[in-house]
This record gives sequence, structure tokens and C-alpha cells, in this order.
Amino acid sequence: MAAAAPSPVPAAISAAAKVASPKAGDRKVVPVTAADEVEQEEMHVLAVDDSSVDRAVIAKILRSSKYRVTTVDSATRALELLCLGLLPDVSMIITDYWMPGMTGYELLKRVKESSQLKEIPVVIMSSENVPNRISRCLEEGAEDFLLKPVRPSDVSRLCSRIR
Amino acid sequence: FNGAAHLVRADDSDAATNRRRRPAPPGYLDEQFSQVEDLQDETSPNFTEEVVSLFFKDSTRLMTNIEQTMEKYPRDFSRWDAHVQQLKGSCSSIGASRMKNECTSFRNSCGAGNIESCMRSLQKVKGEHAALRQKLESYFQLLRQAGPAGMAIRHGGM
Repeated sequence: MAAAAPSPVPAAISAAAKVASPKAGDRKVVPVTAADEVEQEEMHVLAVDDSSVDRAVIAKILRSSKYRVTTVDSATRALELLCLGLLPDVSMIITDYWMPGMTGYELLKRVKESSQLKEIPVVIMSSENVPNRISRCLEEGAEDFLLKPVRPSDVSRLCSRIR
Repeated sequence: FNGAAHLVRADDSDAATNRRRRPAPPGYLDEQFSQVEDLQDETSPNFTEEVVSLFFKDSTRLMTNIEQTMEKYPRDFSRWDAHVQQLKGSCSSIGASRMKNECTSFRNSCGAGNIESCMRSLQKVKGEHAALRQKLESYFQLLRQAGPAGMAIRHGGM
């Protein structure tokens, strides 16, 4: 699974509420609020993990909370897509810590060093509870550090902060 | 479906009525598996099976890597350990607790630099893998046979 898989806009956003832009590349949905209903602008999350199992689970958790999710299997690929401007509306990056090649920690550093990307919150996931690792990530600017296996409650807690 | 309940429960309490959030007994699968099942919905009605299938594909590959690494790099315990750690992570993600525990033993054997116990651990991990595959195949078959009522026979501890 080397390519990013942008997910389609979920059906949850009704046709009546969606104002589609004529531009093909524009995935933003402009919310039209009804009297008793507030449509929030969709958050687009980039999930980075070399494990296909973990990608499937984290993507599902996020999509169940109505986020749009793009999954990639490496930090290198994530950076490529981000720097090429192919994911202009990413509102959060959630990444595994240890991956072959570039680690999630290195990805975090690159994102925070980039004037283009540094405002994007980065969340690190790891199956190991290593206090040094956690504090290093937080010092480097990580928004949060989640222990795997990640649960829906971890993610909703974190997304409600970032919204 | 009480007759088949023994396939999914490690104890003999009634599995057929409701999903309960009590801690799973040390069986093949732990609470994380329930978390994965809970994600299944109308938009992805086969989610659990899909994830399980990804797991078996991934874990089979990782186990092959481990065997090849042990052959190619004899006594390179930290290299072996890195591979076992990956496998353990995969087990953890779907709640495969027995297999995960065998991975932990395996890592301990690597840490101790003990070849024989590494070899034994490898065999145990393979054994748990095969057993889990069988359990899950039976479980999914059961759910299919049960049809819509299958939602009531949700796993609480396998």
C-alpha cells in the first residue's frame, strides 16, 4: 500500500447543505446552516503508519467521527504529499512513532521546521510507553502522544481540542 | 446459539444477550478486539473481517521475516527483537492477546540472548497464530450463519 488513499466526502453531509465548488481539486465543503443544525467544516486528517492493520483502524476511528482521512504508509510519502501541496487542507497529522526509514519523530521535526506546515498539529502514536520519548516529542512540538492500541475515546478527546 | 457460545467465550456465561464491557478473560482475544468490532457499522459492514484479514496477511509476512532474519543473521538478537516487536504491535492492534504474550516471551528470550528459547518462542508464536486463525474463522462463520441475530453473539472473550 504505497499510494495515499484520499477518502471520498462522506454521505453524512447532505446534498442540501453542500455547496460544491466547480474546481475539481477543491474538496472543501462550505457549510450552510439550517435553523436547528450546525454543519462543521470537515477536518482532514493525515494518518501515517507502516502497519496496514493500524492504518485501517485509525482511519475507521476518524471516519466514524466524520473526519476526512488520507492514509499513507511512510513519513517520506507524507512529507512528499504535504510539501507538494497535494494536501492543502490538512488540519491534523497523526503518525506512528517508529517506522522504517523516516520515523514519526523525524516527521514531526520536519513539519515544525517548515514555515508552510508548522501550524499543523502533529500527534504521535506508539506501542511503547517510554517517558523520554514522550517528553522529547512534546518538546519538539507534538500536540499529543497516544499509546497504541489507539481507541476511539483517545481520538475524540484529542479532536475536540483541535477543532 | 448457546451451543456454539463455547467457541467465543472462555467462560460459560451467556454470550447471546448483550455486549458487555467487562474485562475479557485471558483468552485468545482481549478488549481491543471488541473495540475493533465496535467500529463496524453500516458504512463498513465487514470491517472486523477486513481488519482480521489484514492482520493475518501482515503477521504471516512478519513471521516469515523473523524466520529469514534468524537464519540470515544468527545471534543478531537485537535485529530479531526489532522484527518481533513489529509483530507484537500488530497483535496488539487487533487484541490477539495470547499471540501477543508469546511475542513478549520471544522478546525476553532475545534480550537474554538465548537461542534455544528464541527457537521455542518462534514455534509457540506460530502455533498461536494458527490457533487464532482457526478460532476467528469459526467465529466469523458463526456470525454469518446467525445473520442479523449475530449482532447479539458478539465476542466478549475468546
